[in-house]
Amino acid sequence: MATTRKMRTAAAMGAALALLVSGCGEDEAGGGGGDGGDLDGAELTVGAKEFTESKVLAQITAQALANAGATVDESSLSGSATVREALESDEIDMYWEYTGTGWVNILGNETTDLPEDLYGAVAEADEANGIAWLPNAPMNNTYAIAVNSAFAEENSLTTISDAATFIQENAAEGTICAASEFLNRDDGLPGLQTTYGMEFSEVVELDLGLVFTQLGDTCNFGEVFSTDGRIVSNDLTVLEDDMEFFLPYNAALTLSQETLDEYPAIADIMAPISEALTDEVITALNSAVDNDGETEEDVATQFLEDNGFLE
Amino acid sequence: MTTSVEQVPDLGNAPQAAMAPVRRERRTLGSYLFMPVFLALVCAGLYLYVSTRELGSIEKRALTADTIGNAVWEHIQLAGVSTIFVVLIAIPLGVVMTRPFTRSFRGILLTLANIGQAVPTIGLLALLALGVLGFINVDIGFTAAIIGLVAYAVLPVLRNTIVGLGQVDENILEAGRGMGISKFGVLRRIELPLAVPIILAGVRTALVINVGTATLAAYINAGGLGSIIVAGLTTNRFTIQLTGAVLTAVLALLIDYLAGIAEDVLRPKGL
Repeated sequence: MATTRKMRTAAAMGAALALLVSGCGEDEAGGGGGDGGDLDGAELTVGAKEFTESKVLAQITAQALANAGATVDESSLSGSATVREALESDEIDMYWEYTGTGWVNILGNETTDLPEDLYGAVAEADEANGIAWLPNAPMNNTYAIAVNSAFAEENSLTTISDAATFIQENAAEGTICAASEFLNRDDGLPGLQTTYGMEFSEVVELDLGLVFTQLGDTCNFGEVFSTDGRIVSNDLTVLEDDMEFFLPYNAALTLSQETLDEYPAIADIMAPISEALTDEVITALNSAVDNDGETEEDVATQFLEDNGFLE
Repeated sequence: MTTSVEQVPDLGNAPQAAMAPVRRERRTLGSYLFMPVFLALVCAGLYLYVSTRELGSIEKRALTADTIGNAVWEHIQLAGVSTIFVVLIAIPLGVVMTRPFTRSFRGILLTLANIGQAVPTIGLLALLALGVLGFINVDIGFTAAIIGLVAYAVLPVLRNTIVGLGQVDENILEAGRGMGISKFGVLRRIELPLAVPIILAGVRTALVINVGTATLAAYINAGGLGSIIVAGLTTNRFTIQLTGAVLTAVLALLIDYLAGIAEDVLRPKGL
């Protein structure tokens, strides 16, 4: 695990900064131990999944931890699909996971037996695997139905119930573009149509990336992920899921219980940051990377600075 | 080996004697039956496997007889229609490109065909879907998929047509012309018949390529067996993936088998 000189410098600067502003830092019970940053001497590895949002979240975390004095290994920040396995085998110390993914993919539950407090249930169940879930961010990257903003305004559509009524009245215009996974999952189109008692007139199966370009052209409605940056660039409106059909996919930092026990300060450092990550904020960050071509690293720094998390 | 290769001994007449090695393959009944029986067994095995699995709601939705039947039919249409267009485009083009008057732009045409095959089909499909190729403004779906498939499969047929026509012995052509046959007559009565086996081999290749590549059409709403494979991949359901993949392979082998029979039938007598 070669730590680059740049990172070491950053960590040192972070530690120095933390020293300067130690008046602001809370007194940690059994914290990192040093009287500088809360995480002095900690060597941490932050992982990410292979898509933009996960990498942005990982960057935010890595920079915040480095700011508190930790040495963060940069090698795993580029993202991989097997990040959960990496966490369980201690190759990485933490990454951002989604509550819905935890419930279905990791814990192997069905989407139909959803608990009231999904975060609580997932966090409790995952304790058995030695994985701790920090309180989730408000951001919810779940399935969503989107329409062109102009189309939404024209037909005064704000919720999926509105859409159901609209499709009933204008049967020919109820076309939906969606990717294969959404069309096949119980918590995708089949369940959506049952819950809202509607039926789209035509289903156009496309690659997810093509949904954005075909919306308003081949079809009026489209399946998207609610925090996708392309919602901004394509001027789309996400319809509110007023019957709360879609599974919540709130993001939460997951880390091994061992790491958390050793460095409890991580929870305190991440709490305010997590709270600031709303749908609007993360969508804007995703958009900055996907549409404006900025790096995840710069976007994360900008976010932390703007919100005063980098003292 | 179930195939018996028989050297034809009676090369009595002059034109045949002048040609490259001549052989005739006559397949036995057993060899004709082997492939269909084998494929039927594979399908039966797949059916048995799937029916012994415990299927969740996703599998039940994705693997109805209706969905599978539809997907197979869409797939056959995609592969069939695209190959018809490939034949209509590539064979005349190949003929034109072997005529002396096209020598100056032969290279350009061959380059175009090469580009068609070099460009990844999935990329071409995306470009068509995005309407980036403004001059071909097609609706996403079947038409766009056909364009992508045709572009990909033109090269093998075109190349084989050129090679097939090129390998015809110059002396035979000379003899034909000496007998007073017109240029077109030489092409129709001598060149093309002699090139048919090689051209057909190219068409057979194109067919199999198209069956395989048509699985990508699922990404642009053109359906086919690809939509079953993709459904299995995205929902992480092995049974669905397996069904889609095995059916695609069975279809490719079946079409190759039928094309092989067509080759036997269409090959000019005496070749």
